Amino acid sequence: MRQGMAWYVCKRLIQGVVTVWFIATATFFAMHNVPGDPLLNDRAMTPAIRANLEARYGLDQPLFNQYLIYLGNLARGDFGISFTQENRQVNDIIREHFPVSATLGILAVLFAAAGGVLWGALTALYRNRMPDYIIMFLVILGISVPSFVVAALSQLGLVTLNNLAGRSLLPVAGWGSVFHMLTPALVLGLSTMAYLTRLMRSSMLEIIDSDFVRTARSKGVPPALIFSRHQLRNAILPVVTVLGPQIAVITTGGFVVELVFAIPGLGRFFVEAVQQLDYTVIMGTTVFYGAFLVLMVIVVDLLYGFIDPRVRLQ
Amino acid sequence: MTAAPLLQVEDLHVEFSTHGGIVQAVRGVNFSVDSNCTLAIVGESGCGKSVSVQSIMGLIPIPPGRISAGSARLRGREILGSNLIDGRDVRGSEIGMIFQDPMTSLNPTMTIGAQIAEPLQVHRCYGAGRAREEAIRLLDSCRIPEARKRAGQYPFEFSGGMLQRAMIAMAISCKPALLIADEPTTALDVTIQSQILDLMLDLQRETGMAIILITHDLGVVARMADEVAVMYAGKIVEHGSVDDIFYRSAHPYTCGLRSAMPVNDRSRQAELKPIEGRPPDLFSPPPGCGYAPRCPHAMNLCEREHPPEFTSGVGHYSRCWLHHEMSRQRPRELHFRAAAGEGA
Repeated sequence: MRQGMAWYVCKRLIQGVVTVWFIATATFFAMHNVPGDPLLNDRAMTPAIRANLEARYGLDQPLFNQYLIYLGNLARGDFGISFTQENRQVNDIIREHFPVSATLGILAVLFAAAGGVLWGALTALYRNRMPDYIIMFLVILGISVPSFVVAALSQLGLVTLNNLAGRSLLPVAGWGSVFHMLTPALVLGLSTMAYLTRLMRSSMLEIIDSDFVRTARSKGVPPALIFSRHQLRNAILPVVTVLGPQIAVITTGGFVVELVFAIPGLGRFFVEAVQQLDYTVIMGTTVFYGAFLVLMVIVVDLLYGFIDPRVRLQ
Repeated sequence: MTAAPLLQVEDLHVEFSTHGGIVQAVRGVNFSVDSNCTLAIVGESGCGKSVSVQSIMGLIPIPPGRISAGSARLRGREILGSNLIDGRDVRGSEIGMIFQDPMTSLNPTMTIGAQIAEPLQVHRCYGAGRAREEAIRLLDSCRIPEARKRAGQYPFEFSGGMLQRAMIAMAISCKPALLIADEPTTALDVTIQSQILDLMLDLQRETGMAIILITHDLGVVARMADEVAVMYAGKIVEHGSVDDIFYRSAHPYTCGLRSAMPVNDRSRQAELKPIEGRPPDLFSPPPGCGYAPRCPHAMNLCEREHPPEFTSGVGHYSRCWLHHEMSRQRPRELHFRAAAGEGA
């Protein structure tokens, strides 16, 4: 059984590497087909200089050779040098800014998962009564209002709150302490929380009157134990399933929130690089994000196996 | 007959409010059961047999369900509604219950052992280790091979028959005085059925517990039951010992059930006679006998007034106007309706 588990992890990791290779390849060829030229700028350039530069950067070689060089660099973990920022390695950009995005993203996912499970279970227990109606109304709001509106509104709310209190309760923007993280993480996780609430509610409703819950009642198990041991653990399975893709949504969707709250995350570079045609940064961040998400999905799947014994043994 | 019976249910009424109106699922049910005794409740689907016991166990969802009247006393103490005696839940400790479909009646994410240990931990305050050992012993006594290994497995690793054994082990873990079995063998194939019934009989012999067996299988009744209650349209229409029901059937519905039962006897007619028609709509139950529209002996009176209990022997009664003395002496005055004239 233990060996089976190790083999399963190995298999998933190999699949993950193949996925990342696919992402890298797609990004590489997409970049080559984007209109524009890395050597195109305002300064006049004679064909001779141009040819020299192309030879210097290997751009005169056949496309497939360039691809192989790119893959070789990737395998060594080298994403290259930024085209627009002076003397900056893409690796340095990621190393500096990804931890910020990751902290924010993980915090947001935790907020979303905890909130979604809690509110979803609550609405199911109070189905068709006041708490259910109120929470489900808020859920619709959370899903339909875009994050930049929520972000701006929450800043406005914080400013008003700080003014009323006469001192700074929570910082309105910026990065540094735990207090800086709370509001943006909440805003970032909000729509996911709303989505998970809906999911949790419907799966909880399915469980709440199921046969095995009836069995637990017939054993005289107290309601609190029935809730935690029999209902919650089984109802949470579909939520865990979508958690992997939702982590993707949160981490890649973070740049809007990062922008509004002036957080030095990776999302800004990801977006700005596309605008400035910073080829290496685009490819580097895309492949890096891809690898990160593949890893997250694997982690979530392993977590799922831990919760559901039926998956563990397959 | 001196002490109060183990479980006595009186005048139980249960209704469900639905979009279509109020369904009166159980309309005044009385029965009692004693230690070492098996009471079978038989009847077709929707006659209220499961709802009766589930409402006693507090398992019907409220709302939409509602216990509108009645009492259920365990050793003379009322348990209907609260399931508590002296603040302790009788479910799992005094009354164990097993269900129809063992495949869905166990928690898929908990090991079998943990599920069997759960009532011991809840009611007997056993520690985890001790409860686990007891669970293994219970599995073993329910004839599950390699009980120690099996206790660590999950329901999906068990077959249906094994799961029902595990359910029984769970239901009897706290040595209950009463075991309620709600169609315990309906979802199992015939050989497994027989093993499960044997197991229940053996356990009863060992512990002296009472059993309430709900079924629509008269073969199971004949094998297991001491007493039988025949339910129809939310009421008990006939109640008696197993011999009374099979050999001295007093209610036309019981007779109908019997002639719809296959018999392994070549000398008797081979063709089964189904009971024509359908049970009455319990949204608006008929004022008279619920069986009247399908009854070959129905009289005008049957549709107007509900028959009271007519005693036809010790512990044997039926709710049928045919047993009214006037119907015996002067049947004409009760206006017999020709069975042939009423296309059922």
